Amino acid sequence: MRRNDRTGFFDWSLTWALAFILAASSLVLVAGDAAPDRVPSLVTWTPETIVAASSGDAFRGMLLAKRCDHCHGSEGFSPVTSTPNLAGISALAIWKQLEDFRAHKRRSRAMEPIAESLSARDVEDVVSYYAKLPIYPDPQDNRVFPQGQPSSSRAALASRLVTFGDGDRGIPPCQACHGPVAYKIGVPSLANQNGDYVLDELEGFASGTRANDINQPMRIIAALLSEDERHALAEYYGAGLGLQPAGSTAKK
Amino acid sequence: MNWRKVRTFLFTVLALCLIPATRYYQVDEPLLRFLRGSLHVDPLSLHLSGEFVENNLGTELHADGSVTVRMIAEQYLFVPHCILVPAGVPINLRITSADAVHSLSFEGTEYAVKTLPGTISKAELMFSKAGKYKTVCREFCGPGHYAMRSELKVVPRDQFPALRPEERGNCAAQ
Repeated sequence: MRRNDRTGFFDWSLTWALAFILAASSLVLVAGDAAPDRVPSLVTWTPETIVAASSGDAFRGMLLAKRCDHCHGSEGFSPVTSTPNLAGISALAIWKQLEDFRAHKRRSRAMEPIAESLSARDVEDVVSYYAKLPIYPDPQDNRVFPQGQPSSSRAALASRLVTFGDGDRGIPPCQACHGPVAYKIGVPSLANQNGDYVLDELEGFASGTRANDINQPMRIIAALLSEDERHALAEYYGAGLGLQPAGSTAKK
Repeated sequence: MNWRKVRTFLFTVLALCLIPATRYYQVDEPLLRFLRGSLHVDPLSLHLSGEFVENNLGTELHADGSVTVRMIAEQYLFVPHCILVPAGVPINLRITSADAVHSLSFEGTEYAVKTLPGTISKAELMFSKAGKYKTVCREFCGPGHYAMRSELKVVPRDQFPALRPEERGNCAAQ
């Protein structure tokens, strides 16, 4: 093929010039960008990460999850109220937390070394195993969920926040992101979560000791809630009242 | 005018026309990002780099006295949740959305700024009266839409403090 073909439309000299400029600029701009940004989490919900997080091998995950049994329970329900239940939680939600533990974006003395010891494939497999676990009660299990019912005034306070939030203070309703009304991507359901764990996380978000939420929604909301409201919400979810849309179960 | 010049011109025009298409095909290349224009951002990775990282949100006071406010609208919050600005100064607002279409409006004023994922909405605002303004989302964005409110505090110009970078996004501390 002749380079100086006058009848052709394609221009080699321009193509090479463009390719050179693109390559050079990418080098210059990548090298010049070094501002100290505070990054809450390295996770982004691109199509690739969603596919990776939701296509693990659940059977291999079951074998790996034997290590998790001691704290998170053999059926994904923990025997301790301050440890999260993982059964039936969205694979994307657990995947994001494990990735954040691996990157030290979420701090935990127990979970950081464990998550670091897992490969990317291990994380995907464990996550898909826990996402597939059933949530119905098992009498042979030593789970502590659900915990005792909150007082009716506490339940009413929490129920109001879960259903309606507080428009005056700008607090959105919990159920708009944590279900059952709607789920935002990577957000866990709280319907089967232990109360003390929910309280610990709300207080961590409010004080800033936990800061791995992308674009800071939970840090803002937890800081807007009062101490009393945080306790009421933890008791509400810990008692299993989040199973149905809030309001329908407050009197149970 | 010879054919060679025409050919080069046409090729350049064609190459320029393809630049917007690189966005659709997710070509991530610094020069292309620059050529596509500074009003485009990736809504999924606002928190990783660029001007909407956490520590760059909120009110920025420039040396010449002008003010830039950077915000993110997401389901169902405006980030930062409370912003502080001086009165009687033109404010350059730069806001983008992380998920759905929102509309930022200030109660008691005529201002309304629509925010779209992937695009930076720019607006120049000026608040002549000091006080508190409710910030409300005016575009239905999901089941928590009605609670998507935050606050804007306007203080007299001489009382506006010199903000340290870590205080930009937090008006409760001021």
